[in-house]
Amino acid sequence: MESYRLRVRLFAIAVLTVFFVLAGRLVYLQVFDSETYWGTSQSNAVRERPVMPARGALYDRGGTLLVDNAPNYTLMLTPRYVDEQTLPELAELLGVPDSVVTSRLQEARDWSSLRPSRVFSDLDFETYSRIQENLYRLPGVSFDVGARRRYHTPMKATHALGYVREIDQTRLARLRSEGYRPGDRIGITGIEAAFESELRGSYGSEFVVVDVRGMEVQSYRGGEEDRTPQSGYDLHLTIDHEVQALAESLFVNKRGAAVALDPSSGEIISFVSHPDYDLSLFASAVPGAVWDSLRSAPEDPLYNRATMSGFPPGSTWKPFMTLVGLEEGIIPENQLVNCPAGYRVGNRVFRNHQSKNHGRISLEKAMEVSCNTLYYDVMMKLDVNTWADWARKFGFGEHAPFDIGNQLPGLIPDSSYFNRTYGRWTAGYTVNLGIGQGDMSVTPLQMARYTAALANGGSLPSPHFVRYAEHPSTGERILAEPPPSSSIGVSPAYMDRVREGMRRVMESGTGQWLNIPGIESAGKTGTSQNPHGENHSVFIMFAPYDDPEIAIAVAVENAGYGGSVAGPIASFMAEQYLTGTIADTWERRYWMDRVINEERSEPLEQPEAPDETSPEDRQPEGAPGAVPVSHP
Amino acid sequence: MNAWYRNIDWLTVLSWLVLVGMGLVAIYSSTHGPGAEHLHASVQQNFYRQLAWLVVAAGVLAGMLLLTPRTLMLGAYPLYGLTLVLLVATIFMGREVGGGTRWLALGPIRLQASELAKVGTVLAVARLLSDRRAVSAQHLGYVLRAAALVAVPAVLVLLQNDTGTALVFIGLIPIVLFWGGLPVSLILLMLVPGLALYAGLLSVWAAVAVVVIFTAGMWIGTRHRLLTLLAGGLTTAAGAIASFALVHVLRPHQVARIISFTNPEAEEFRQGVGFHLVQSKAAIGSGGIWGKGFMEGTQTQGAYIPEQSTDFVFSVIAEEFGLVGGGLVLIVMGFFLLRLIKLGADSKHPFGSLVAAGAVGVYLIHTVINLGMVMGMMPVVGLPLPFLSYGGSALVSYTLLLAIVVSIHMRRDSLSIYGY
Repeated sequence: MESYRLRVRLFAIAVLTVFFVLAGRLVYLQVFDSETYWGTSQSNAVRERPVMPARGALYDRGGTLLVDNAPNYTLMLTPRYVDEQTLPELAELLGVPDSVVTSRLQEARDWSSLRPSRVFSDLDFETYSRIQENLYRLPGVSFDVGARRRYHTPMKATHALGYVREIDQTRLARLRSEGYRPGDRIGITGIEAAFESELRGSYGSEFVVVDVRGMEVQSYRGGEEDRTPQSGYDLHLTIDHEVQALAESLFVNKRGAAVALDPSSGEIISFVSHPDYDLSLFASAVPGAVWDSLRSAPEDPLYNRATMSGFPPGSTWKPFMTLVGLEEGIIPENQLVNCPAGYRVGNRVFRNHQSKNHGRISLEKAMEVSCNTLYYDVMMKLDVNTWADWARKFGFGEHAPFDIGNQLPGLIPDSSYFNRTYGRWTAGYTVNLGIGQGDMSVTPLQMARYTAALANGGSLPSPHFVRYAEHPSTGERILAEPPPSSSIGVSPAYMDRVREGMRRVMESGTGQWLNIPGIESAGKTGTSQNPHGENHSVFIMFAPYDDPEIAIAVAVENAGYGGSVAGPIASFMAEQYLTGTIADTWERRYWMDRVINEERSEPLEQPEAPDETSPEDRQPEGAPGAVPVSHP
Repeated sequence: MNAWYRNIDWLTVLSWLVLVGMGLVAIYSSTHGPGAEHLHASVQQNFYRQLAWLVVAAGVLAGMLLLTPRTLMLGAYPLYGLTLVLLVATIFMGREVGGGTRWLALGPIRLQASELAKVGTVLAVARLLSDRRAVSAQHLGYVLRAAALVAVPAVLVLLQNDTGTALVFIGLIPIVLFWGGLPVSLILLMLVPGLALYAGLLSVWAAVAVVVIFTAGMWIGTRHRLLTLLAGGLTTAAGAIASFALVHVLRPHQVARIISFTNPEAEEFRQGVGFHLVQSKAAIGSGGIWGKGFMEGTQTQGAYIPEQSTDFVFSVIAEEFGLVGGGLVLIVMGFFLLRLIKLGADSKHPFGSLVAAGAVGVYLIHTVINLGMVMGMMPVVGLPLPFLSYGGSALVSYTLLLAIVVSIHMRRDSLSIYGY
């Protein structure tokens, strides 16, 4: 019996020993070696998933939503977990042939068997949700939900807004340190590029538990450690989407640009470069064919004519010449001026339009009738360097302070330019500069600043697109601080006379058919002579005359007389901006019909050879052949 | 006379319920998490099926309480015979599921005969050794007959490739014989070579240490030349097999299966034979002291550990409830086994006490092999953790065994030592 008791005890001791060993192992694993296994299990099952911030939205000056984001679904396959037998079902859900799915799976497998590959991008929501419902039966299938830009208004404003695209290798290499990842979308041109840092926001993180097959099964610790992404700032722009849309519609069949500014602030009300293209093309991956057609089109829609095209300003230059003549004492202040039919320089005679002799007339009248001979005379009495200095004071020949994109400075020649270009040159080489022809070019943006300065009495504003950036969740605002307007330094009395002259142009001169019903305005037509083809049609305008709210410059390539193409476009833009509508009068109907249906840019003859460089790279250089500079 | 239910050992029944309950919690967590829909369809209903099996098991428990010890004794051999028939039937008609375990389809119920065989074997051996003429197990003839009773089902399950269950039968032999009165030296002679085998897997030096200590101990303890020679010979052989011969006898993948537990993280094992252990250890270790919380275990919810509602159920508890939960399982299981030993010791009749010892043996071997495997101390051998792992046949069989022990204990006074 003793032995039996002993055996019971021994047995119990053996059981206890075994359990102590097991308990010891458990304590070792869970207490002393826990760190190691914690690491293993984390790297195993917990995956950090970057959460893309919402890119900031864009609003127009009236608060209308222009651009925001729409979800974009990409189907991904992780080849290792894909069950080949489910492929026909997947193909059916996607609405593509089985063979397509099979071959895409093979491509994915060639890249990596274990990592998810983006296999079908830009699925619509319906397809996405159909597959999502069946996801549990489709191992190895997952989705990447991204965001693409969504455009809400009919206006395009292509060159102003710019496009957003998946980041390329070059940019990625440069920007990786700023937190960009492959597959990120980044602003490439326009406002999207210039305000990338404001619009972008910063990445958040989501921690998820993934199962052994790589499927996400739940958020880690109920999302306790997630970091929410910081959305980008919404930009409130200065553009008026209705004026913009109207202007774009008027540019049908035309090449050219229009820039409308608020003359007191420099806010850009409208910014047109035509032809343009639909930005929503870039919302998803751009098909190669679309790229090619954009790049090889002879009229080059990628080219930003508003800041990069140069053309001689033609008669729209005369208000400038008037001011310079007065300031330099060449035009007598209180006398009539001479406007003969022709003006002799050496053995050449430069003439008025239709060789008309206006005789002695007031300075204002000279502008009204667009007298040429007066300004030849002023130019002949003016040193070309003095002239060039004045032009630069008006913002020509140099880059304007501007918040987006690339510009060309245009050409304002001085004596060294002529020495360099021609060696020996005479006054005959410069006399045309007096009427805005010859060896000079200006950009539509520069013209708009100049018009704004004429409108506001002599200060040159800084054109800008952004009023303020507002954070969508905190409401925090960052005000745009464009450089202040700079004063040109012309006498207000002279400025008044020029403005009066421009008013008369609209009242009874070359712009008399272009008045906005019920609103007094001032303007100047211009026809920029072009030895290579049809003249360029140019027009500058501001309104209302007494207290200008909008200053517009319009240039239409190879479209003829300024008063008949650029003029009505500017007038309609101003009317739309000031009244919110286009008056229903027979004159307005006539012009609307004519601008849309009859007036057009002379078509370009030969397409340029398609260029190998990517369009955004070549934009700074621009398309040099677009607007040739005329020579004397 | 006390009311009959007063004699039920409620502490044992309570421990049983706690163990089953903890198993259910773990099974629920591993099949009802957010990733449940990705689980294999056959696993998704495990919780409800186990719940249903618990009802069956409770019925079995109640039913057994109605039977007298005499009936049970009379039923021992027939049950043993029946389980052998079922095992043979399984070999010829069974369906293999997931390599190793085989089921016998009985209508809608899938019966795992090897589980029931454990009960039959324990009863039969107890019946044999409680024979008056056996005079405990000291009679060599009885020892061999007992060993044969165990060996037959062991061979039958080996034929089904079920190494784990075979190990249970083999492990039962020394335990039951020890209880039956075989000299400790002989028991150790059976046990220690196994220890040497295990030590040899870890390192040659561990095997050498086991050989030296055991041989010396045997000499000092018995001063018996033959026994000492056997001790030295058997342990050396076992240690040598584990250390050197294994590689020559078995195929490389079989060797890898056996030795991978020593370093499952190694490059050549991590994605293959070591995968279970890497994941299981990661689950347990990362659980820490307090655990990650119910349904919050990343390893569990991500289904990283294969078989996590069956053989690896402990890793679920240890991950989600930490040392607290895992420790509770050990404490309750340890208490439960000690309690069963006490029930056996209380029984005045050798049949009752031998059944209890056999039951403890079955549970103990399962627990050691299962937890040893789950915690990375042993090769991966498919054995469930009693009462916790999912599996109807296992739950019902183990409960049946328990019920017999509790039932005999309840009526311990009615089975007189002189009554046979």
